[in-house]
Amino acid sequence: MRHRVPAAVVGAVLAGCAWFGAPPAWELPPPPVREGPVVDPARLHKSRLGSGLELLILEDARLPRVDLSVTLRRGAGSVPPATAGLAGFTAELLERGAGARDALALAEAVDALGASLGAGADWDSTSVSVSGLSRDLDSLLGILADVVLRPRFDAGEAKRVRSELLAALEAARDDPSTLARWNLASLLYPGHVYGAPLEGTPESVAGLDAAAARAFHARVFTASNAIFSASGDVDPAELERRVQALFGAWPAGDPPPEDPAPPSPAPTERRVRVVDVPDRGQAWIVLGHDGLARTDPERTAALLMNGVLGGGAFLSRLMTRVRAEEGLTYSVSSNFALRRRPGPFVVSTFTRVPEARRVVDLLLVELERMQSDPPGPEEFRRVQTLEAGRFALALETSAAVADSLVELSVAGLPEDSLDTYRSRIRALEPEDMAEAAERWLHPERAAIVVVGPAETLAPQLEGLGPVEIVKP
Amino acid sequence: MQGGWLRRWRSAACAFVASLAFVAAARAFEGVDDPALRTRVTRLENGLTVLSLADHTTPSVTFQVWVRVGSGDESRYTGLAHLFEHMMFRGTRRLGSEAHERLIEERGGRVNAFTSLDVTVYFEDVTAEHLPLVIELEAERLAHLDISRESLASERQVVLEERRLRTEDSPEGRAYEALRALTFRAHPYRVPPIGWRSDVEAATVEVCREFFHTYYAPNNLVIAVAGDFDEADALARIERAFGSLEPVSAIPRNPTREPEQRGERREVIHFDVKAPILAAAWHAPASGHPDSEALDAASEILSGGRSSRLYRRLVYEGQQALGVQTGYDEMERAGVFEAFASVRPDAKVARVESLLFEEIARLRDGLVSPAELEKAKRGLEVRLLAGLGTSHALAFHVASDFVLLGRVRPLAERLEAIRAVGADDVQRVARSWLRDDGRSIVQVIPPRSPAAGSAR
Repeated sequence: MRHRVPAAVVGAVLAGCAWFGAPPAWELPPPPVREGPVVDPARLHKSRLGSGLELLILEDARLPRVDLSVTLRRGAGSVPPATAGLAGFTAELLERGAGARDALALAEAVDALGASLGAGADWDSTSVSVSGLSRDLDSLLGILADVVLRPRFDAGEAKRVRSELLAALEAARDDPSTLARWNLASLLYPGHVYGAPLEGTPESVAGLDAAAARAFHARVFTASNAIFSASGDVDPAELERRVQALFGAWPAGDPPPEDPAPPSPAPTERRVRVVDVPDRGQAWIVLGHDGLARTDPERTAALLMNGVLGGGAFLSRLMTRVRAEEGLTYSVSSNFALRRRPGPFVVSTFTRVPEARRVVDLLLVELERMQSDPPGPEEFRRVQTLEAGRFALALETSAAVADSLVELSVAGLPEDSLDTYRSRIRALEPEDMAEAAERWLHPERAAIVVVGPAETLAPQLEGLGPVEIVKP
Repeated sequence: MQGGWLRRWRSAACAFVASLAFVAAARAFEGVDDPALRTRVTRLENGLTVLSLADHTTPSVTFQVWVRVGSGDESRYTGLAHLFEHMMFRGTRRLGSEAHERLIEERGGRVNAFTSLDVTVYFEDVTAEHLPLVIELEAERLAHLDISRESLASERQVVLEERRLRTEDSPEGRAYEALRALTFRAHPYRVPPIGWRSDVEAATVEVCREFFHTYYAPNNLVIAVAGDFDEADALARIERAFGSLEPVSAIPRNPTREPEQRGERREVIHFDVKAPILAAAWHAPASGHPDSEALDAASEILSGGRSSRLYRRLVYEGQQALGVQTGYDEMERAGVFEAFASVRPDAKVARVESLLFEEIARLRDGLVSPAELEKAKRGLEVRLLAGLGTSHALAFHVASDFVLLGRVRPLAERLEAIRAVGADDVQRVARSWLRDDGRSIVQVIPPRSPAAGSAR
């Protein structure tokens, strides 16, 4: 079944080509980037039911599949720290029985379709999603409507979920990167829910029950606070009719209150915390401070500036310095956690224990260098094209496009934001990088968390700021 | 949108490769036209195989170089295939260290690589206009790789950090590494792809160069390109860039096969964990075996979804584990059926172990119900389809089959094999492969008396 290309034929084809003797492609200027619209308007159907429920349907018949979700515009960041984790707890409980089915019957119904059901909370939203074959659309919609509108909130299931979440929180302490993130958050946002893990603390979760979940559901799960989205092999008009039938009677509800804002600036001075995990050869290092909100007008400049610093690519300054040049880590990255309220800016890496201080110093030096030696035109241009291209690749599937559109709606950003993103990137200048670094990076007051053997780490970290040692 | 890439039949008439099209007759899957059937297989004179799959409904193109060398081919230095993979990014005679990935990234592309027991895979995902650059960059490092002492010294440290991250400081990584080494006594699959620390520390520039010349030959490579690109133009460019690479006459392979296991094997690892880990493995057939789908179905019945037997027994009803996962892992020369459970901090690993083995015994002792079997098969089918959503995943799927089986496997063939599985097949494979005297067990538990007594 396989054939060989006769060399003579190929040779003949090549001989007549202009390629011969051409310089390597990397010496040529990059070809112009092709830019079509991110969202094909012919495939996107948007509407709103009388109750305020927003509908977003993206038609894509390439595979006989469908992804459905209902997203609520409030999440883990909408509760006080005493009930941290309530949004996720409620979401998990939705999967433990709804409508005519108890937890096991619901699981059976989902698995019988080869489908998957998931409910969860992020800082800004809570969502239920279900995906499967498009020929099962009716059954999938029925399950989704039950889970969103008619959860049972059974007291026994609530107890079980609470016990599982507490066990998971305890087990998560085995993971040094999780310990590092949790400890950094608690240093940055004491007294605010952003200072707790997304899943809550053992203390807050211990207090959650069916009544608390029911109350969260009543407040947040209302039609005017919800977005229904679908992508895949569906007929939009027909789907809209079915959504109307299933969700039409969902009351509009009152708009939920705004999320409480965290204190700012956070922290006010540099602090160091060592989380003592003795039996490890590697130290996890995170450092950070307050950042900016999802809707901040300067977010695009900040994201691009972060791309130069450590936005996840090999060409970032942090990867170049700490990994490629020094061989001190396998990975280092930085990011702004964009939430409804200003979330943290975090730099994260790991290295062998004896080198922890050297790496902390390098991270601080690179943060400072973003201000003292900001990106020039060449470095800026590279990150500009990197970001524009990454953006397009990340939106390869219709499901990813639909998720992004939902996220924009949750944030209250313009619905054409995906289509304007690349032009907003292009509109920036190298000078904007210097300004963003000045405005959004604060190495002088960063909180530093190092997880590993305190006995060898604590002495290394002296002189950076007050050092405290805590148990995991 | 109609006319998408799985719903249309595409004309295969283009340029000089038209006569080389791979065509197989198989029925489509419920209106889905099979990507495997639209894959064109081209073999260059020097033995290089190219799998191409054009699709203009997606905005990107993936270019993947599959090298038929993995940790299972190593001899003196374990971890060499992986360490060498890292060295492929450290420059050529014309391009500086890390220039390859920078050139891709600054054009908005994704670039990376991974090493498994059987293969080393390098990939770039870019928009179509950058494919010519990708082709030249991949060929450049195959033709002119430059391995210097300095870059090896620094990259070795990067790899050792990766080893600490994924294995030495990770309870899951420790369990996995120990389980493979316990399951395979003789076969090279006993060695972790990242290698044993002392070998990674000792490998030299000369050893890397020799490895390169032994395995990185065109007749040991498969290129997969899928997505939005001009097939004729890309094939011509590939021929031009890779066609002059010299094939090698013989590629050494390790001959060792695993002797039969007669009796349970067990290992306990002491690690400072709050959630102990239970891991178990049984020998299973190599890729392409007729029992494959029945083993997949067995795994689905055990741990696929919240109605599965193990989820219910261990997580939901038993409240003994945080999660449990089983899987049939098919490699080129051997396979394993594995089970992993994360034990709740308030539960006992011994209890989780006995519940797990009770469920394995139940699979051997009784027939699964028709409804349970249908559910498992449906889950396998839907997931097969879900794994074809991006050009990267599509190329990966087709190339992986090609490397393991030596041919492009039609989707319909796989689906029919799934659909043909009967309850008696599930019982039969459980009896022949999931035997008590052929299992290996690893427990990761806290030390009896904590090394750091002050930790309490």
